[in-house]
Amino acid sequence: MQLRNLSERATSEARYRGLLEAAPDAMVVVNQSGVIVLLNLQAEKQFGYRHDELLGQQVTHIIPEGFAERLLSDGLRSAVDALAQQIGTGIELSGRRNDGSRFPIEIMLSPLKAATGILVTAAIRDISVRKKAEAQLLQKVEELKRSNEELELFVYVASHDLQEPLRMVSSYTQLLSRRYTGKLDADADEFIAFAVDGANRMQHLIQDLLAYSRVGTQGAELLAISSAEALQQALWNLRGVIDESDAVVTYDELPNVLADKSQLVQLFQNLVSNAIKYQNPGVPRVHISATITCGKKWIFSVQDNGLGIEEQYFEKIFGMFQRLHKREAFEGTGIGLAICRKIVERHGGSITVESQPGQGSTFRFTLAGDQPKAQNDARK
Amino acid sequence: MPTQVLLVEDSPGDVRLTQEAFREANGMIKLYVASDGVEAMDFLRRTGEYAHAPRPDLILLDLNLPKMDGREVLAQLKADERLKTIPVIILTTSEAEADILKSYQLHANCYLCKPVQLEAFENMVKSINDFWLNQATLPNRHHR
Repeated sequence: MQLRNLSERATSEARYRGLLEAAPDAMVVVNQSGVIVLLNLQAEKQFGYRHDELLGQQVTHIIPEGFAERLLSDGLRSAVDALAQQIGTGIELSGRRNDGSRFPIEIMLSPLKAATGILVTAAIRDISVRKKAEAQLLQKVEELKRSNEELELFVYVASHDLQEPLRMVSSYTQLLSRRYTGKLDADADEFIAFAVDGANRMQHLIQDLLAYSRVGTQGAELLAISSAEALQQALWNLRGVIDESDAVVTYDELPNVLADKSQLVQLFQNLVSNAIKYQNPGVPRVHISATITCGKKWIFSVQDNGLGIEEQYFEKIFGMFQRLHKREAFEGTGIGLAICRKIVERHGGSITVESQPGQGSTFRFTLAGDQPKAQNDARK
Repeated sequence: MPTQVLLVEDSPGDVRLTQEAFREANGMIKLYVASDGVEAMDFLRRTGEYAHAPRPDLILLDLNLPKMDGREVLAQLKADERLKTIPVIILTTSEAEADILKSYQLHANCYLCKPVQLEAFENMVKSINDFWLNQATLPNRHHR
C-alpha cells in the first residue's frame, strides 16, 4: 500500500513536472514554509542556477521580497484564504539572479493540493522589456508635456512681443489715414486704407492668440462656482452687441459647476457672441440650458436660430484659424471656437455642435458638477 | 509758465505718439524727453548737460528702459526728498501683476497700460491732461 502510494505520487509528480516544462514562463513550486520543491528549466535559465542549486532552497533566494510573505497565513486568514486573494492577479516584484543582479518580474500564484499539504505554483515572467517600454513611454509623455508647455509659453511671449511693433504700425497708419486721407490722391487713400485694415486685423489675431495661449498658461484653479453668474457676467460683457442686434437671450436655471470662473465667462461669451453674429436678418434668439447626465456631468447647451452649419464642418470649426465665411460677410480671426474647445478640455470636458443650415445651431459642452471629485483636473 | 512734463521713454515711435497726443489734448504743455533712466536722473538732478533743466510738474515713466530701468528710476526718485513730491505716472505695455504691484510699492502715483488702439491711447493722454494737469492741485513750483 505504502509502496503503491509512493509510486503513484512519483507518477503524478512526473506528470506535473512535464506540465511545468511545457510552460513558457519560469515556474516554481513552493511549500508553505517557502521552500522550493519543484522548478522548470525556464526558472533555472532565468535566475541562472542549476536545478539542484535551487531545489530545497528558500524562495527568498530568487525572489527576496513579497513572495514568501504572501504564503503565510495570519491569525485571521487560513493559508488557503490568504492565497485565494492572490490568485489570478499579477503581482509585480523583483527577482534576483545567481550573480546578484535584479530584474523586474510579474508572478501569478495558484494553490496546488498535494499529499504533503498545500503547495503553491508560481508562474514567473521577466517583465524587463515591458517595464523599460513603460518607463520610455512615461518619459515621452513627460517630454511631450514639457514641449507643449514650452510651445504655449513661446506663443504667449511671441504674440506679446509682436504687439509692440504692431502698435507702432497700427497707430501711425491710423494717424496717416486721419491726417492725409483726401489730401494725396485716390491711390494713396486706397493704400493707406489697406494698411490700416491689415494692421487692425493683425491686432485682433494677436489678441486672440494671446487669449488662446492664456487658457493654458494662466488658468486658475477649478472651484465650485455658479455657472449662472458666469453667464450673467458674459452677457454683461456682451451688452453692447446684444443691444445693437436686439438679440433675445434667455436661460434656464443653471447649476453650480467646478470651473475656472473667468474661463467659463469667456466660454459663454464666445458662444453667445457667435450665436448673435452668424445670423440672418431678424431677431437673434439664444437659449442656454443645462442637463445632468448619470455620470454627474452637466451638459450645457447654447442654442441659436442663426445661419446653421453644414455637417462636414462640425469638427473643423473648432480648429485654429478655421473660418467658414468670407471676411466681407463676417469679421473674425477663426480662433474663438478653438479657445472654447481649449477651455472645455482644460476642464476635462468636451464640446460639440449640432446644426442644420438654416435651422440654427446648438453647441453643447460638458462640465463636472461641483463635487470635489474632479480635483486632478484642477492641477493642470 | 507752461505746464512741464518729463517723458521717460526709449522708443522714438512712442515719444512722437505721446507728443502728438498731448498736442491734441493741450497745446500749452511743454514735453521734455529722456530716453533712458540715467538721462532721466541727470535731468531731474540737473547734472551734466542738464544743469539748467526745469523741474517738471509731472513725470511719465516707462518701465523697460536701457541703462537704468524705470523701477530703479522710480525707487531713486521716491527716495529723494526734493523729487518725491513730483507725481509719477507709470506708462508701460506691461500688464504683469508683478510690475503693477512693484510700481505701487515704490510709490508710483498711478499705473497706466499703453492701449493698443490709437484712439484709446489719445483718450488716455487726454485723461492724464484733464486729471493730473487740470483737476489735480500740484505742489506750487516755487514753494518746494
